[in-house]
Formats: sequence, structure tokens, C-alpha cells
Amino acid sequence: MGEVELSCLAYAKMYLHASQFPRCSVNGLLLSSSPAGGAVCITDCVPLLHTHLSLAPITQLALTQVDAWCSQTHQRIMGYYQANACVSDSSPTPCALKIAEKIFEQCNNAVLLMIDGEKMFPGCRVPPIVMYERKDARWALKDKHTIMLRQWEETCSIVNQLFSSGDQALLVDFDSHLDDITKDWTNQKLNAKIMELVSPANGNV
Amino acid sequence: MINLSEVYKMRDKLRKWREENYRNSEQIVDVGEELINEHASKLGDDVWIIYEQVMIAALDCSRDDLAWSCLQELKRQFPDSHRVKRLAGMRLEALERYEDANKLYDSILQDDPTNTAARKRKISILQAQGKSSEAIRELNEYLEQFVGDQEAWHELSELYINEHDYAKAAFCLEELMMTNPHNHLYCEQYAEVKYTQGGLENLELARKYFAQALKLNNRNMRALFGLYMSASHIAASPKVSAKVKKDNVKYAAWATSQISRAYQMAGRGKKENKCSVKAVEEMLESMQITMS
Repeated sequence: MGEVELSCLAYAKMYLHASQFPRCSVNGLLLSSSPAGGAVCITDCVPLLHTHLSLAPITQLALTQVDAWCSQTHQRIMGYYQANACVSDSSPTPCALKIAEKIFEQCNNAVLLMIDGEKMFPGCRVPPIVMYERKDARWALKDKHTIMLRQWEETCSIVNQLFSSGDQALLVDFDSHLDDITKDWTNQKLNAKIMELVSPANGNV
Repeated sequence: MINLSEVYKMRDKLRKWREENYRNSEQIVDVGEELINEHASKLGDDVWIIYEQVMIAALDCSRDDLAWSCLQELKRQFPDSHRVKRLAGMRLEALERYEDANKLYDSILQDDPTNTAARKRKISILQAQGKSSEAIRELNEYLEQFVGDQEAWHELSELYINEHDYAKAAFCLEELMMTNPHNHLYCEQYAEVKYTQGGLENLELARKYFAQALKLNNRNMRALFGLYMSASHIAASPKVSAKVKKDNVKYAAWATSQISRAYQMAGRGKKENKCSVKAVEEMLESMQITMS
């Protein structure tokens, strides 16, 4: 499989999600708004759960709702991310593999992304992510060099700005939405803030 | 200069968080640090429990400096206390010095074999080290002795859920529901576990317990969605009688109307969650089609 690009927006929200619930495992879906068959670009993500990742009902509910939203907004689900509560272990859990399988059934260049908690400290020079792709009927580690994070330093600085302005608290995941349904799991407000920080010098990120 | 009523307000905030067991550690550190650094003398005997609360919150926020100074104050005031020793152990855990922490807890247990706090910390260390099967084994042993410990039963249910051992998780939740029949969260979690186990019988149980959770708290959205999904799946199953199908279609329809109503009320005046509202409507529509 070829290159996969990860946008600043998707990366920032995943990072914020993992940071918001440091004691829990968190997960979410990776979305793409680029046409199928072209270059693979993860343009956005939807943070899903921070409790009971392996229980079915809420996961099924979330998948269905995100699917519905994607068809309204011309996006498609093309991947899954997870950050384990146990920082030293960033290997995919059975639950992660199961959900990634389901996504692969609908999208043949689906990716599975694990967040590496040990690399999530300020000043870390390497993106804290490990990506898997489907190869020979199993999920195999993707070559680091085929994962594109354009303007990595820019992205880091944007994430830092979100923390210093307190905007990281704006992030809503699906679990929080169920606790209070007036909260928006599509994160329109946060998306706008991030895109504001992205746009001035950089054009498309 | 801060006045006395402000100090008492801060003290009361800390007490509320303590009593309701919130883990808002950053806030606790914020409020607590100022309180103990500048106003310790005005707190009376409350100061000691506040030192404990702030210390634990400081560990949560990697503020070892603050945790250390709180610990020193407590050690000075209560030199032989097991409770303070446990706090010292927690600090060692935060520094990942698990062997030293275990030694400390073992010494507490030698002195007092019924000290539940020390036993629970030892189990937490196993969890932190990723040794889930050992943690589960120890927690089971603990519960044989301390069968009424709700917190422990809940912790065990979480461990089983993580290990995908749903039958045993269900057992733990059954214990919790028996002793806390009015707790809607336990009903709803039990229903989720049953739903996950799958199969017609489990789905019916799930539906019943989602309904029970709703009876106890009619704003539990997870229970509402759960009721909708379990009833829909039962109605769509080829193995059920016409009557069962009809009943479940009714339950699902009721749930749909409740969900729509809840989202309409939530959407009122809030432009920003229009997207989530629309997504729910689409989902309900699409599932209706597959059911009929």
C-alpha cells in the first residue's frame, strides 16, 4: 500500500482526545473527504469513547451515527484510532482489531492507528503514532516513511496553542455527547478554531 | 488580601469534591495549593484531610514537589500512621518504584492484615504493570474476604470487561445491582454486557435491563438508545414469534419517539449541534426501514 497522509486537524483532535482522558483507553474513527481511489488522506477524525471500549451497543450506535453524518458531509470512514490506558503498551487490542476489520470490509485501504502514549510529551521530535495496514489477511505495521504528516512542527505548535488557550477543553467525544446531548460530537466549534490556526501561512494542511 | 469567607468557600469546594469522589485533580491542585500555602492556619483540623486530598491530586498531575511537601506535613503530624504510609506508597507508585511501594504496603499488612487500602494498592500496582490476570486473581481473593466492597466489585467488572470475559463481568454487575437496586448505571452497564454477549436470550435480557435503567432515570440516553437497539434487533430476528416481533416493534417505536424528542429539545436554539441531531434522525430512519 502507498502513502497515507494525516492532516493537522485529524492529528490535533486525536492528540487532544488522548490528553483529555489520560487514565482511560480512548478510541475514535478516522475520516477522509478525498475521493476513494485517489491519494489516501485522513482529513478528520471523530473521537468516540473513553469508557468500555469493548462493549457493543454504544460502539455500534456511534458507528451508525458517524456513518450517517459522513454521507451527509461527503466523507467516509477509513480508519480507527486507539490510545491505551496503559502507556507502555501501544499494541492493538482485540477490540481495536475487530473494529478495524469491520471498517476494512467497507474500505479496502483502511488503516489502524495506535497512539503511543510514551511519546506524548512536550518536545518529542517524533509523532506518537503507530500505523497498521491490511496485508496478507492480517494487520501489519506500516512503513514509517509512507506516513505523511505535512508541516509536523506547525502541527505541534498548533496543538500547544490549543492547550495554552484552554481550547483543548472544547473537544467532545461520543461518550461525552451521551452524557449531555447538547454537546456536539462533530466538534464544529473546535474544528473552526483549529482551521483558523492552520490557515494563515499554510494553505491546505 | 483574601477574606475569610473566600477561604471557607475554597475549603467547602474541596470538601464537596472529596465527598463526591471527583477526580478533578487539576482543579484540586489549583484551589488546594493556594489554600495550604497561604491559609493553612485558618483551616483548623480540616487542614490534614486537605493535605491528603491535595497530595493525591498532585500525584495525579505529576506535581511531585507539591505531593512531597504535603507528605512531609502529614508525616510530621501523624508519624506512625498506616494511612500516611499508604500515601507514601502511592507516591512511590507515581514514581513507578513499584517494588519499593509493594514493600511499604507489605509492612502495613504485616502490622494489620485487615488493612484493605494497602491490599487495593497492591492490586492497582498489578494493573499499572499490565498484569491483568494477576490483578483479577488477587481482586477475587480480596472479595472472598470483603464481600461487601462495592468499589471492588465494580473494579472487577471493569477488569473482566477489558478481558472480554463478559459472563464474569455480568456476575459482578449482578452483585452490584442486588445491593444497589436503585442505581441506574449498574442496570445499564449490565444491559450493555448482555447485549455484547449476543444471542436472542441475552438481547431480551438487555432490553429488560435498559428499560429498568430508564425507569430509574429517564434521562439515561445510553439506556434509551440501548432499548431501541435491542428491541430493533429482536424484532428483526427470524426466530421470534409474531407476537414477540410486534411487541418489540412497539418498544422500538416508543424509544424512537423519546430519542427524537430528547434531540429536538437539545437542538433548540443551538446551531452547533445541528449536525448531531440530523445524524440521529437519519439513523432512526434507516433502522426503521430495515426493521419493516
